[in-house]
Amino acid sequence: MAYSELIKNFEKIRSYMRDFYIYGFRTRTEFVRKSARSYDNERRRVESWLKGAVSFRQDASGKSVFISVDNRETLHNPFYKALKAKSFTDRDITLHFYILDVLSDGEKLPLRAIAERVSGRCEEAPEAAFYPDDATVRNKLKEYVSLGILAEEKQGREVLYSRNDMKWDMEGWRDAVAFASEAMPLGVIGSFILDKYKHVPELFSFKHHYLPGALDSEILAELLACRRERRNALITFSTRRSRGEIHQALIYPLKLYISTQDGRENLLAYSFHTRRPRMYRLDKIRSVKMTDPQPEAERLDMAGERFAEFLWGTSAGGDKRRTLHTLTMRIHAGKDERYIADRLCREKRNGTVTRIDENTWEFSALVYDAQEMLPWIRTFTGRIERLSCTDAEVERRFYGDLAAMYQIYGGDDDAVS
Amino acid sequence: MLFHEVYGSYYNVVAGILAEAVRGELSGERIRKIIEEKAYLESGITIPNALKKGKWPFLRADYTTPIRHTPTMPLTDLEKQWLKAVCEDPRIRLFDPPVGDLEGVTPLFERDFFVRFDRYADGDPYEDALYREHFRLVLLALKEGRALRIRFRGKSARHDQIYIPEKIEYSAKDDKMRLIAHSKMGTPYVIRMASVQAVSLAEMPDGREPRPAEKETVVLTLTDERNALERAMIHFSDLEKETEKLDDNRYRISLRYRKDDETEILIRVLQFGPRVRVTSPESFISLIKERLSMQKRFTSCGS
Repeated sequence: MAYSELIKNFEKIRSYMRDFYIYGFRTRTEFVRKSARSYDNERRRVESWLKGAVSFRQDASGKSVFISVDNRETLHNPFYKALKAKSFTDRDITLHFYILDVLSDGEKLPLRAIAERVSGRCEEAPEAAFYPDDATVRNKLKEYVSLGILAEEKQGREVLYSRNDMKWDMEGWRDAVAFASEAMPLGVIGSFILDKYKHVPELFSFKHHYLPGALDSEILAELLACRRERRNALITFSTRRSRGEIHQALIYPLKLYISTQDGRENLLAYSFHTRRPRMYRLDKIRSVKMTDPQPEAERLDMAGERFAEFLWGTSAGGDKRRTLHTLTMRIHAGKDERYIADRLCREKRNGTVTRIDENTWEFSALVYDAQEMLPWIRTFTGRIERLSCTDAEVERRFYGDLAAMYQIYGGDDDAVS
Repeated sequence: MLFHEVYGSYYNVVAGILAEAVRGELSGERIRKIIEEKAYLESGITIPNALKKGKWPFLRADYTTPIRHTPTMPLTDLEKQWLKAVCEDPRIRLFDPPVGDLEGVTPLFERDFFVRFDRYADGDPYEDALYREHFRLVLLALKEGRALRIRFRGKSARHDQIYIPEKIEYSAKDDKMRLIAHSKMGTPYVIRMASVQAVSLAEMPDGREPRPAEKETVVLTLTDERNALERAMIHFSDLEKETEKLDDNRYRISLRYRKDDETEILIRVLQFGPRVRVTSPESFISLIKERLSMQKRFTSCGS
């Protein structure tokens, strides 16, 4: 099949884009999962969609493609462009513009009248390759009713179709949509709406802005549909350890955990296999299929809330019994270092902070996985008076890593002294 | 369905082309320009060909069209539901969107479905009346190209002068809005919206262009143990970065950051402990050593 910029299925290119953006060092030969031709086509598409954001590096191991952007200077998520690349047939686009045009006077028309008018318009165009039949027009009308673009109304035995135009103050929404398209979940839908405006002033920028979540928009939208209709979902997914193997699970979606510090998104869902809540990485979910209604949605929500009470981040640890651990850290903050205590207070999550004396503050938390706290604890390096944890491995790792840091940056001449 | 051609770039481009054809303003050159502005790198061949050969039967040879009305598409249910969901957020209510338009629409999601578990707890008071008033004045100034007289509390002093606004910057991690602005002399300022005590519109002064943000590069060597590579790649993905594979489990990562974010970058690098070693610049290495020296006050190895 000839190459096209547009694609039928987003799933195929999702992992390529994530790889180019997140990693960006793999060469063509390392993309062994797919054929070389498939890689070349996907790379060409990404280059075409993202224009200036794609770069290359050539070294002895080969040519690697990477996407590099300063997200603070990127005013619109570039991945949204990929979600606007759905392929279509010549019939689809012809019917789209002519159906909406023949209904633009506000009339309510039956299928036959619409089909006749559309055919009439097509005949006015020289070399038109397609004249629609009633069945094709009917299918498109039904599709547009399901999308909410058209409305249908029964009059006697006839169904009348009209544009489902809503009176909305487009100008009044402009700034809100511009902001929300980057700051809110499923912002790509905001970007679809912004495409309707002739001009959108660039008033906003975003710091700590993580872009690749956009690539999971379709999956998220399907999970939200299950949630709205209180239905279970059958998902297929891989895990970090499964090395590409695909698993299947029947779940009920409970919450989406979004990290504002690295953009990772994890679905908290009730698993009917393990009969308890667990996390699934959103970027590892390949497909979602809505299944049966869930009559006990509230009970499952409660189970999710109880589970979440002792999460530091998204990990329940490797212990299947989900044993709780207490971690305590004492922090030194000098007389002029009140900002350190402020940091503790704003970053403590489900932990507690107590002032011990003029210069010492104690943080304490009860969690499933205290190891998950180590990266955050290391951000206080220089001020940690003492760290203790009921999970001995956490203490051992913390002090072991610290010793390794002294070694790396001090070395034999002990520059760190 | 979210991945659908009705939201696609090609449909938008064709709508733009047909809008000009309806007005009788279309030309081959305009088609090329519209495609360049709105579509992809290689669309410049596909779209004109489909229009010219009648595969998409919308244009006559003289660039007129059988389409009678400027093409528009009603909002889809998905778009309405998304608008309804986002307008329940206090940050979006800062913009006072006309929510009455959406009466009877079911929101696409419940606000509390999303848990930002590592967001800082001292976010901006979006529902405070004074904050909202300040925000709206700042937004108005940005839209109308006006300057602002702002009095605010900085880290160490109070400030009160004329500023030329550039952007409103939002951080999801801090949950704060900041005004990016510069003074008449071109000095850059980042003003926390919540620290603003008084603000009023002012005439735009003759002033200097803002100085561009000073950027630095820090180079790290990462050892891929305990999934450090994936964690680091995702964690630093908000920055301009380049990664090279050095050998089986070592990688060189170059990160570009703004000089005024250096302390934050230092903290972010420290998170990775010994899995990440800073190799340049020397000034950044010194910052790490300084933190480790401070830590030695409290810990001898394995204490």
